[in-house]
Amino acid sequence: MMRVRIAPGTPHGPVVLPVPVGQPRPGFTARNGEAAFVGGQWLVALGADPEAAGALAAARLDGKRATLDLRALSPADAVAFTTGVCLRAWRYDRLRIIKDAHRLTHLDLLTDTPGPLRRAWRPQAAVLDGVAFARDLVAEPSNTLTPNGFIDRLDALAVAGVKVQVLKGHALRRAGLGGLLAVGAGSVHPPRLVILRWPGTIDADPVVFVGKGITFDTGGICIKPARGMEEMRADMAGAAACAGAMLALATRRSPAPAAAVLALAENTTGAASYRPSDVLRMGSDMSVEIVDTDAEGRLVLADALDWAVRHLQPAAMIDLATLTGSIVTALGSQMAGLFDNDAGFATQLAACAAEIGEPVWRMPIGTSHRDDLKSDIADIRHCVPGRGQPDACHAAAFLREFVGQTPWAHLDIAGMEARETADDRYAAGPSGFGVRLLDRLIAQCFEDPHR
Amino acid sequence: MTKRESTHAPPPWQTSGSLLQSRIVCISRGPLMLAIDFAQATVPASGALALLVPDGPVLTGVAAEADQATGGALTRAFAAAKFTGKKGSTCTILAPAGGLSRVVAIGIGKPEELTAFAIEEAGGAAAVALASETDAALATGTLSPDLAASAAMGAVLRAYRFDRYRTKEKADDKPKLAALSILSADPAAAVTAWEPMSAVADGVFLARNLVSEPPNVLFPAEMAERCQELEKLGVKVEVFGPKEMTKMGFGMLMGVSLGSVTEPRMVVMRWNGAPKGKKGKAKPLAFIGKGVTFDTGGISIKGAGGMEDMKWDMAGAGAVVGAMAALAGRKAKVDVVGLVGLVENMPSGAAQRPGDVVTSYSGQTVEIINTDAEGRLVLGDVLWYCQERFEPAFMVDLATLTGGIIVSLGHEYAGLFSNDEPLAQKLLATGTAWGEKLWRMPLGDAYDKMIKSEIADMKNVGGRPGGSISAACFIQRFVNGVPWAHLDIAGTAWSGKDSPTIPKGATAYGVRLIDRLVAEHYEGDAAAE
Repeated sequence: MMRVRIAPGTPHGPVVLPVPVGQPRPGFTARNGEAAFVGGQWLVALGADPEAAGALAAARLDGKRATLDLRALSPADAVAFTTGVCLRAWRYDRLRIIKDAHRLTHLDLLTDTPGPLRRAWRPQAAVLDGVAFARDLVAEPSNTLTPNGFIDRLDALAVAGVKVQVLKGHALRRAGLGGLLAVGAGSVHPPRLVILRWPGTIDADPVVFVGKGITFDTGGICIKPARGMEEMRADMAGAAACAGAMLALATRRSPAPAAAVLALAENTTGAASYRPSDVLRMGSDMSVEIVDTDAEGRLVLADALDWAVRHLQPAAMIDLATLTGSIVTALGSQMAGLFDNDAGFATQLAACAAEIGEPVWRMPIGTSHRDDLKSDIADIRHCVPGRGQPDACHAAAFLREFVGQTPWAHLDIAGMEARETADDRYAAGPSGFGVRLLDRLIAQCFEDPHR
Repeated sequence: MTKRESTHAPPPWQTSGSLLQSRIVCISRGPLMLAIDFAQATVPASGALALLVPDGPVLTGVAAEADQATGGALTRAFAAAKFTGKKGSTCTILAPAGGLSRVVAIGIGKPEELTAFAIEEAGGAAAVALASETDAALATGTLSPDLAASAAMGAVLRAYRFDRYRTKEKADDKPKLAALSILSADPAAAVTAWEPMSAVADGVFLARNLVSEPPNVLFPAEMAERCQELEKLGVKVEVFGPKEMTKMGFGMLMGVSLGSVTEPRMVVMRWNGAPKGKKGKAKPLAFIGKGVTFDTGGISIKGAGGMEDMKWDMAGAGAVVGAMAALAGRKAKVDVVGLVGLVENMPSGAAQRPGDVVTSYSGQTVEIINTDAEGRLVLGDVLWYCQERFEPAFMVDLATLTGGIIVSLGHEYAGLFSNDEPLAQKLLATGTAWGEKLWRMPLGDAYDKMIKSEIADMKNVGGRPGGSISAACFIQRFVNGVPWAHLDIAGTAWSGKDSPTIPKGATAYGVRLIDRLVAEHYEGDAAAE
């Protein structure tokens, strides 16, 4: 995590100066996307997107410390610029014995108005803590980040004031969460349902985040090909984003009540693994025919969504999941897929997503998508066999069966959870996608006590 | 651009044989169309009767008369079957008292929720229920004459059958229903409403026929000839062959055709129906279709499984030709141009290779990465030509472009990509209202950059992720500031199951969308908006 000091007595490290686009200086043309070391300091072109300029600066900086000269910027632009620096400079190096000596970990901010900047920065620092927390979780390998390992990491949330409740073994069986139990059955690391609660100060029903937390996904009996399987450690990115968002809300003392339900399990092959053709009895009592054990995410999510509806009286629910390859075929790694049962809520969410730079695209749940899920033997089947299926739409149609009348949005974030390579704008590795989006949604739509 | 000798005649196995000699003239009412007449609303003495019954307890009009004529059989049957007229429900009574062979009640739901398309669907249900009858009538109750015509439309659309290659089918196995009498309170007005609809049905059938034809019969030159039959409707048709297109510099389209012995064609169809004497000349509307009469994938050859489906890789072109026939057939008061690029994509010693660079008609160069991404190459040249020559008000292209759109949306929606909000909104609303649904998909720089090439202005594929979008971005590079929409119809051109107005097989997706878009927004008073 980045240590940030505002208006310190003695700033350290090379100075970074944002220069507005179109105001060239000797040795610097100030064109969008330009950064250069001129006259003993870094000059970075500041265009319409200060966050991008900050990211560019971080991509160029080489050293532990830097000083950002933000004196010419409004507090909002200064915060956005610093945000860009922090997000681009993130790196996961907990597992290295030899730490990267050049990793940027300390920022000093120069400002003539420390009060306003401090006030603007504080809530944003909380959000960035949430993002970094989610990224660390996604980056952590699956031998340590088992379901229990994930729960251990949630101590950080408890410290921030989030109530953490864990359902395991007997409690899961008593709740009848057949989907979650079946998916986790093949692993020696048993499944868990985690409930995170932030009371807020407004007397209202909570907004509930639901996250898919498959700590490793082999595909189970329908095992995945070996190539690329290592990426499946990130199959808990939805749960990580939910946890990160809860940390952000608690750290910045959001007045809005919120909760998160994380469905944690490892999907692996084992003597007790669930099989294709099994019929599961879900927490909602619905029976589900299993077609493909690699379509496990929707099973654990379905139980989590249903549990949330029964126990938390959500004002609205948003689930996040690295759910389908189909959504990657559809939208690539540029946008997440948004499915919903409430156009108004979806529009709000999409607007927040666009503002915050975590773009989503609305996708359909058509009548044909639900019809395709008819089972010969059970109430529903969870996916459709054969290649070339609109699996993202099918998954969303499946999930909708478990949300009742609650306004609900489903974000299929497969393809968004990590970046293969770094560029001037984004760091390589986990993106923390969803944390800022959820935080913005709460801030924008649920923090007005008179709404 | 490789020059190509274009003296090939179609190979003998494609021109000889009995199949082509028995060509059905597609434009005239062929034997395929259910014959429709409109009559006064009275209960017929014999034959089968279908009734459109709104949701509600009271039988009126012909339904009440039929109930009386059958000694109350309807009332009893409806009660026994708990039939109340709910939308989509039916109730059949065989040989009731009196002379009727069969009475079929078809629920059309609440009167206040009725739409023309819902009535078409009910008409389609009637066609199915009456298929084994030779003498049949459909009573439309208190529906307006326009909606009575809509019921006829639905029945006609559903009764379509492509059976010209069934030579040994027993008479018993064929549907019997050849004519249907529509009973209406105002038959004369219903006939007036039906006339233009019948022309649209012709256009739909033309498109379905083209899409259903096997690829050894329907190759580019043959399809171009069928386009020329539109001249009978007053459409001006020009056909461009390989010599002309090579000379004009259609490097992308010609490159795709290199591997096949069948010559490519581009067909330009113009319908000038706008009223004369209007101030100034309105820009024409333009529709452009991908017409790959068979797509093997070329050197980047497809897997064998399901390759036979690639005969319908010309469904975009089929829809444009069908729509031109529909608009001309009903004498639409609008200027429209339809352009189709027709090629066959084959692997051979002369075929285009991955790695080739071709120069498009627009002057932009394209690196071919995958020869199976050929549709966008054909469309790019035709789109550029279209806007250069016609300066259209907008361009809408239809193409069975990507498998990715099926993985994205399935078979219920076609993908809609557009650079123009008003055009996109009109298309979305029209598609929803008329059962040819669209879902908006994104465009933008983040996707466009996926088709950057190391050696040319662009490459022809951007990878699997977001593949339908990068394909649309490719096409957009051949759109020069004109309002434009691209419809990826790979998932909707062919249906594996029946729907109320479309038997399984070729759907002609796009014909009605285009016809209704034009009728509702660009003709008569709507054009002035």
